[in-house]
Amino acid sequence: MDLLKTIKEIVGPDYVSDADFIRQSYGKGIAGGLIEKRPDYVVRPHSVEEISEILKVANKEKIPIIPRGGGAGLLDGVLPPKEGGIVLDMTGMDEILDFNEDNLTVTVQCGITWAQLNTFLMERGYYTGSLGPGSGMSAVIGGGLSHHSVGGGGAAKYGAVTRHCVGLKVVLANGDIITTGSGASKYIKEPFSRWGLGPDLTSIFLGDQGIMGIKVEATLLIYPKPKYRSYRTFMIKRKAPKVVSKILLDYRKAGDLGIYDAFWLPDLSVAAGLGLIVSEFTVFKLWKEVNPKGKDVFFYTCEAESEEELEQNVKKLNELALQNKGVEMFGPEIEDGNIAKWHYEKNGHWQIYHGFWGAAGRGSIPQTAEHHIPIHQIPQMMDALSKWESENQDLLMKAGPAIHGLGSALLCDHTTVEMDSGLIVFNKPEFREINEKLWKSNLEMVVRSGGMPYMAGMRYSRALIDAGAFSDPYYNFLKAVKYALDPNGIISPGKFYLGGKE
Amino acid sequence: MTESERYKHIKKLKDMIISCSGIGDCRIGFRPTVGRFGVCPSYEHSPGFEPYHARGKLRVLYGILEGTLEPSEELARIFFQCPTCGSCHAICHQSYDENINWFICNYIDHTKAWEAFRADLVEMGLAMPRHKELIQSIEENHNPYFEKHEDRIKWLSGRQFPEKADTLYYMGCTEPYRLPEYAQKMVEILDASGIEYTIAHPDEWCCGSIALRTGHLKIAKELAEHNVEAIQKKGVKNVVIHCAGCYRTFVKDYPEILGKELPFKVYHATEFFLDLVNQGKLKLTKNINKKLSYHDPCHIGRAAEIYEPPRELLKKIPGIELVELKRNRENAWCCGAGGGVKSAFPELAVEIAQDRIKEAEEIGVNTIVTACPFCVRNLRDSAQSLKKNEFNVIDILDLVTDAIEK
Repeated sequence: MDLLKTIKEIVGPDYVSDADFIRQSYGKGIAGGLIEKRPDYVVRPHSVEEISEILKVANKEKIPIIPRGGGAGLLDGVLPPKEGGIVLDMTGMDEILDFNEDNLTVTVQCGITWAQLNTFLMERGYYTGSLGPGSGMSAVIGGGLSHHSVGGGGAAKYGAVTRHCVGLKVVLANGDIITTGSGASKYIKEPFSRWGLGPDLTSIFLGDQGIMGIKVEATLLIYPKPKYRSYRTFMIKRKAPKVVSKILLDYRKAGDLGIYDAFWLPDLSVAAGLGLIVSEFTVFKLWKEVNPKGKDVFFYTCEAESEEELEQNVKKLNELALQNKGVEMFGPEIEDGNIAKWHYEKNGHWQIYHGFWGAAGRGSIPQTAEHHIPIHQIPQMMDALSKWESENQDLLMKAGPAIHGLGSALLCDHTTVEMDSGLIVFNKPEFREINEKLWKSNLEMVVRSGGMPYMAGMRYSRALIDAGAFSDPYYNFLKAVKYALDPNGIISPGKFYLGGKE
Repeated sequence: MTESERYKHIKKLKDMIISCSGIGDCRIGFRPTVGRFGVCPSYEHSPGFEPYHARGKLRVLYGILEGTLEPSEELARIFFQCPTCGSCHAICHQSYDENINWFICNYIDHTKAWEAFRADLVEMGLAMPRHKELIQSIEENHNPYFEKHEDRIKWLSGRQFPEKADTLYYMGCTEPYRLPEYAQKMVEILDASGIEYTIAHPDEWCCGSIALRTGHLKIAKELAEHNVEAIQKKGVKNVVIHCAGCYRTFVKDYPEILGKELPFKVYHATEFFLDLVNQGKLKLTKNINKKLSYHDPCHIGRAAEIYEPPRELLKKIPGIELVELKRNRENAWCCGAGGGVKSAFPELAVEIAQDRIKEAEEIGVNTIVTACPFCVRNLRDSAQSLKKNEFNVIDILDLVTDAIEK
């Protein structure tokens, strides 16, 4: 079969390519220094029907299909497990299909970015609550839902983005097109809930790392954007892991304080920031003056519908933070060192920490081990990270040296905290083997220490299996679900060691 | 070409090229808090594969440096379709502002990387055919328009200038050969201010912007050396330039090419005229009753950060109602003409400019004013392609001359 000819007939000649330079540009994840795996073809479909036709062909011919959104995942979620296959670049499907103010939902094609969607919504007084991942300017809805994303803003108040999805349109491996949630009933014209028509089958495709089907449309709940906001930043002079853990838990136990985001920047990140002072940057400039030793920094953002409510909540949030020994508060303005305000009002997004990825020096890149844990386990996890670092000191030195640690942590659903730990390594061929070894070991250590992968991609999903996290009956159950939906294992093969010829 | 000479231009930028962390905001970043709505004009008007935007381009360059890719005509065309507007540079985490541009991170200068690769492509015989023609014309005629060198001042009708003066008007090629009314307006405004000035003709040659943007570095250097020497001979302290491309080439590229600071100050016309107005030498008193939006040319905007002088100058003109386009200053949408796109891919240039026309119409504006002859030409072509006969594209020189107290 002339596959290229067939795909051209489906999507048109402009939207499929087997050119080497195009395949190469899809052959690396964000951890760009690692082994490149080129797909055979890259396709940019523009309709659900096109995707369905492509899957029918791929399923028949047993060709791997790798769905890809913004390509901003950090764990090789968009790479073929080996050379070959078809990458489905979903970014051509970026329409807002239904903005429903009566239902407070929005239905979109899954290739739209979180930032595009929220720009549209905020111009109308709404937002998706949780604004996607930290890379939400480039990351798309489909990827966020596949990864159970947090970090783009709003995670403390709204939790991960998956909580707000009330239905999906999915193309299955055999080309069937299904609608989940209330949209599964032909009598329900406006999706509004995931439950009520039997088990919640939407969830099979949420946080699935893209292995269960191709998400093509999603309906998300939307929320009115509160009118008032406040931001405060604190320095934590001693025992930061314990203090941060206590502050965050106290916030949760105090009930609804309107907290929208809460971030902890450990001393490693603050020190990196302090070492990189530029005179124009008032936040770090002040940090250098008042926090010269680079102590940990903690900050929050809260929202309210009235000034009174905001004032009351800010008072309580500050009290709960300041009651801990060694915690000091910066002034309220950006010029006072209030980085939280800077994030929202000047920088415009929670993305400063991406700059830290280069923190090891020229050509350095992240090899993340981001994970979720309960708030109260922060100190134990920090101990586990330190222990691993000591045990691997020689290897880290040989890798450049590579840097290991916690870049930041943020409050998510209920008592969950997302720990942005991992490695910063050098993107050079001579370090690739050692980088691979360090990364694998680091991911497995986090799994064994009780961390739950944030985004799993290829790397973490395999680390779960390699570390023996799943019991046989559970893994068999996962396999059974996967192969019921995708008997030939063509969709995103390799993750969790499922699919393909493995 | 020896193996060591292959890719010699991008090899110099290897650290930069391998440092892309790959987040991909350079594709379609939106950041409303800072007025950012979209990034890459050539990506938006392409089939949309990765190499059409900056991240993919950097990945391709990485592959070339690693030896896993060889350039081809198809690949070259994609690189030459970029108008080098610098919008990807403006949004990149690793270069977009001083907050992130830390010295231990590797700063990425995207347009520099594209231009370096174009130079490698040219040396490998993969230049765009139309660019080769333009370069040939520059070599033969000192301008890219296949016009006679002596006709550069045809519009002056024999007017004489002093041999030496403190100020020199560098006219460039586009205005005297394609939009002479703007060269005339420059002279009209300078005359009205009463300052003494001169021109470099017959020793004024093309600034070399086209050569630089399209990868022809050798001739660009020759042009830079010639022009600086010719201007220096005139004993000038100040050079005033209206063409945004020439201005950027003088202030940003010449010092780098020549390895030294220029022996004179270079002003963009909008900066220079604003100074004259503030000094009371230029009086803008006539009422111009117009609602309009200012389009930031990339060459004086993102490349040289001249955002406020044109706006300040417009505010000095009585009756002007300036309504900002949604995307302005460092977030401005390119008109699509730069980087050799207008000459090699004219349809793409016009398509990109159509975005800007539509953007103005969305806010109820039917006049765009800019400060660059390239932008004027392309935006006009675009309005015409949309059959928007009622839509006006003007230059700030039109408004200044109309407002001058005569």
